Parts: sequence; C-alpha cells; structure tokens
Amino acid sequence: MLIVALDAVTTAALLFVISSGLLIVFGVMKIINFAHAAFVTVGAYAALVGARLGLPWVLVLPLAFATGAACGVLTEATIVRRLYQRPLDAILATWGLGIVIGQIVTLIFGRGVQFVQAPVAGTIDLFGVDYSAYRILMIGAALVVALIFSALLNGTRLGLSTRAVIMNEMLAQGLGVDSARVRLVTFAIGSGLAALSGALITPLSSVDPNMGVPWLISAFMLVMVSGGSLLTLAVSSLVLGSLQVIVSTFVNPILGGLTIAICAAVVLRIRPEGFARA
Amino acid sequence: MTSRALLASLAFVAVTGSALAADPIRIGVPVGLSGANSVVAPSVVQSAELAVEEINAKGGVLGRPLALDVADDGSGAAGAQKAFDALVFQKKVNVLISMETSAARNAGLPIVARGKTPFIYTSFYEGKSCSPYLYVNAWVPEQQVPPIVDYFNREKKAKKYFLIGSDYAFGRGMLSFTKAYIEKTGGKVVGEEYLPMDGSDWTPIISKLKSAGADAIVTSTAGGAPNVTLTKQLRAAGVSLPYGNLAVDEGTAKSMGTDAADIYISASYVTGIDSAANKKFLAAMSKKFGADLKTPNDLSVPEYEGVYAYKAAVEKAGGTDPQKVLAALSEVSVDGPRGNIKMNKQRHAPLTMYLGQVQADGSVKVIQSFPNVDPGAQCPPKS
Repeated sequence: MLIVALDAVTTAALLFVISSGLLIVFGVMKIINFAHAAFVTVGAYAALVGARLGLPWVLVLPLAFATGAACGVLTEATIVRRLYQRPLDAILATWGLGIVIGQIVTLIFGRGVQFVQAPVAGTIDLFGVDYSAYRILMIGAALVVALIFSALLNGTRLGLSTRAVIMNEMLAQGLGVDSARVRLVTFAIGSGLAALSGALITPLSSVDPNMGVPWLISAFMLVMVSGGSLLTLAVSSLVLGSLQVIVSTFVNPILGGLTIAICAAVVLRIRPEGFARA
Repeated sequence: MTSRALLASLAFVAVTGSALAADPIRIGVPVGLSGANSVVAPSVVQSAELAVEEINAKGGVLGRPLALDVADDGSGAAGAQKAFDALVFQKKVNVLISMETSAARNAGLPIVARGKTPFIYTSFYEGKSCSPYLYVNAWVPEQQVPPIVDYFNREKKAKKYFLIGSDYAFGRGMLSFTKAYIEKTGGKVVGEEYLPMDGSDWTPIISKLKSAGADAIVTSTAGGAPNVTLTKQLRAAGVSLPYGNLAVDEGTAKSMGTDAADIYISASYVTGIDSAANKKFLAAMSKKFGADLKTPNDLSVPEYEGVYAYKAAVEKAGGTDPQKVLAALSEVSVDGPRGNIKMNKQRHAPLTMYLGQVQADGSVKVIQSFPNVDPGAQCPPKS
C-alpha cells in the first residue's frame, strides 16, 4: 500500500512538472501550445548535450531551461504572435511546429535512442521500502517549480502585469501594460519550463525525437481540468495521477494509460470549470 | 535483300542476346528506411551491398551480375504495399530479400504471391508465416526463448517468472510462447503485464514485480524507447533479479551503459562469434564502409546470408525461374557469419543460438551456444 502511495505521489509530481509549462502559456494566452511536447524533447536533448560536455547536473538544468526559452521566444515572435485571435489555428500551427522540431532533432541527433545517466542512482529506504531515489527527488523538483513560479506570479512586477493581462487585457493595455511583451515573456517561460521538465525526466526515460509526445495528451487534459492556476494543477495532477496508478496497479496498465484522458472528460462533463473554484 | 535483312536481324539477335546475358539479376530490398525500423535499416542495406559487391567481384551468378533495388516500406503495411508493388511489378525484381516489420511482411505477401516472386525474409519474428513464396532464415520464438529460460532454470534455480511486454503482436506473441515454455519446463509465471507501445512510465508494473516474489524477469518490449525506459526504471527501482530481455540488441545494450549490465540476451548473431567466417565478414564490412559502418547485428547479418542463399539456389536451379528457385532454396546451404544455414525445416532454418550476457562496459559476452536449435513445426503440411 505504501508503494502504491509513493507511486501515486511521484507520478503526480512528474505530471505536474511536465504540465506546468503548458498551463502557464494557456493561462495567459488562452492558447494551447501543442509544440509543448517538442519543447520537452528539446530540453532532454539539451540535457544530453550538457551531460556529454561534462557539465554538473545543477548547470544542465538551467541550460535546458535557457534552450527551451530561446526556442519559445523564436516561436512566439514568428508564429504564435499572429494567431492570438485564432486559437484553433494556433493549435494546428503549434502541432505542425512540433513535427518540424522533431524532424530537426532527428536530422541533428539521428533517430536512435540516447541516454543520460541519472545524477542519483539506485534506491533509498523510505519507511521500510526500497524506492527509486530519483523518483523521490522528482517530488522535490515539483515543489521547487511550484514555489518559484507562484513567487514569480504573485511577488513580482512581471507577475502583476501577467495577472492583469489574464484578467482583462484591454484594461491592462489601457493602464500602460505592454501586453505583447508580457505574452512574449510568458511564452518563453512556458517553453523553458517544458524543456526543464524534459531534462528532469531524462534519467527515467530514454532520449529520442518523439519522447515528449506520449506526455502531451496527459498534460493537455490536466491543464484543461485545472482551469488555469498552479494550485489547481497540483490538485488535478495528484487526483488523476493517483487514479492512473490505482487503475494500473489493480486493474491493468493498459487501461491505466487511458485513465487521465477518460477521467478528465468525465470531470469536464460534470463540472465544466474542472477543479478551479468557479 | 532478304539475305541482308536476315544478316541484320541475326546481328540484332546477337547484340541483344549478349546484352541479355549481362542483364543483371535484380534483388528487391523493401526495408523500413523511415518509421520504427529506420534505426536498423541502414545496417541491413549495408549487408546487402557487401554481399552483392562480393558476388559481382567473383563473376556474379551464372554469369549475370546482381543489382539491388532498395525501397522504403515505411516500417508499416501501407508503405509496404507501395514498395512491394513497385519492386515486383515495375522493377520486376527476381527476388525479394529483406528484414521488415511483421505488418509490412504481411502486407507484402499477397503481392509477392500475385507476382510469383520468391521472398526471403531475414528478420526474426513471431513465427508461423506460411506463404509458399516465403523463406525465413532468422529465428522464431521456439529458437530464441529456450536458451534464456533453460539457463535461468538450471543456473539461477528460477522457479517463478515475471513477464513484462509492450502491448502489440510481437510482444504478446513472444511472451505467450515464453509462458507456455516456462510452464512446460516446470516453472511458474507469477505475473504478466503489458504497457501500450508508446508508454514510458513502468512504475506500477515495477511495483507489482517487486511484490510478486519472482526469481527472474523476461521482457519483450518494442525496440528502442520502451526497452530503454523499462530497463532504466527497473535499475532505478533497485531490481537486480536475473533479467532476460527478448528485444534488446547488442547496439542498444552498448549505448545503455551500466544500466544494461547483466541483461541476458539470446540471438543468432552477436559480433563476438569466434569464427573465421565472422571475422572475415566483419573485416570486409569495416573495409567497405569505414567510418560509416553500422554495427552488424542479428537483423542485418541474415540479409547478407540471404543474398548468398539466393545465389546458391539460382545456381542449383540453373536460372531464375521462381518455382525452381523456390524448390532449390530448401536444399542449398550457406556458410556465413552465423555458421552453416539451411532453410530446410518447413521453409525455416535451424540456427545456432547464443546466450549472451551484457557486461559493465556494454559488450556482450557469449555465455553458452546452443547449436542447431530447431524452429519446430512452423508450417506443417496440411493433411
């Protein structure tokens, strides 16, 4: 039972880290960035390059974030900026961009599967069970991401402008907030977070050009259900992640893979605002 | 006038006749240059290129050179239909020799039957594919699974097995055979779990494994990413049971680093086979391709031997007539890097299987070889 609980919490942490970048972009811009999976992949490859250069893990993570953020700036300025009034076209455009990025990664690194060694290996003894040390570390990573970004959103000038744009963009513009710049910065942060999460999952996963894709649907569903705040994202990750683990453990892992999508659809049917306070 | 016309037409016949004599024998190679097989496909093409070059340098087959037509099958059924159609009906190849996914092979077989073209399939697969045009020179479950299970039974005293796979035909097929074989040899399967092919989080399965009290694990995932994620997560969870992996190849094991150490694999080819034929083959490959060489493997070496098997069959049949070649294919044998191979068991071949253990440096050490493992009754004649 303890193992199931640990599985549930660490899975939720993983889901939270991967979805948070998507959430930030969705919260501010009301568009879904389907290139998110590609940015996750870019981050993993940045971690791969960093690890090959012999950088310590604490420098690999900022490198991944910076690479993702740079990709985000480019994407916002060239593609996404033109599509704010057309959210459906934005989905299509970012999905296409994801394919392009995947192919570019393939051209540079090849289709093969690559590897990054974990910064911590093996298991630790937790309440009498041996458990994967890196998965435990992911809980900490999720908490750090949550703390930094709620501090950013609630404690800084940028955060204030961002919240203003979220609430009423016209009014914010009228008050002198440069909403174009807020969007650019937000998109860059979201993409950077995606890349950071890609780097964080490399020790648990392989690095290949399509590695981000399986996570995209879960991340998308979680963001839809959470309705736009980091806190509700954490709640939905915990609830749906636990359900996934429970179904996988006690029923079968193939159904477990469908759990998040199905539960999200059911939640949204019953309560369209999801886990958000109405 | 008539005599001049006769002379001219005679000259014409002579010219075209000699041109026909040098007309190449065309070998079609439909292979997954894109899609899931694209990691391994280049090594398969290289194998075919070396075989063709060697044979042509020695005067070809019955005085005719060999020519390769490589086509991309996209690693799937839709691409294979196009590739087979183009090769069989437009390029009019004399034979198809290739490693493909099972989906691609199954899509190609009706086209092969329509074109009455022999097809030598050089990929290990789940078994029991029985077109009269199809010959297979690679392993089936009956040949790959017993070395691992026998070894675990005997040396590791394993009684209870846990099976993990990807949810697709090959993964389930391999593990259902494995389960039957384990039960036949007195063992017990205490768990059998699958994840979808693109799944990457094995956590719940690993937790079940840890509480199941198994003595050994056997896995059969899709190649590449699922295999890697499973192995990494098993290692991260501290699982150190004897671990037989039915889907890992030498190259992947090498790139996995220390995580792959102690995995047991079973294959008909590993680069470390200590024979003169294998050393000659490896030297020829690295001479021809130099830095571009893709490491020869269990999917590419049968391609090399397949070309030689076709050469021998054409020589025995005295020409490229499909029916005669098909009859001859079961009678000829090839001495290649994997040893002497003859596809005489219901169009399948007995093979020497090697049980290898991945070392800490990623190399594969051959623990034991199992000569002439029989493919069993793959295509029993209908009574």
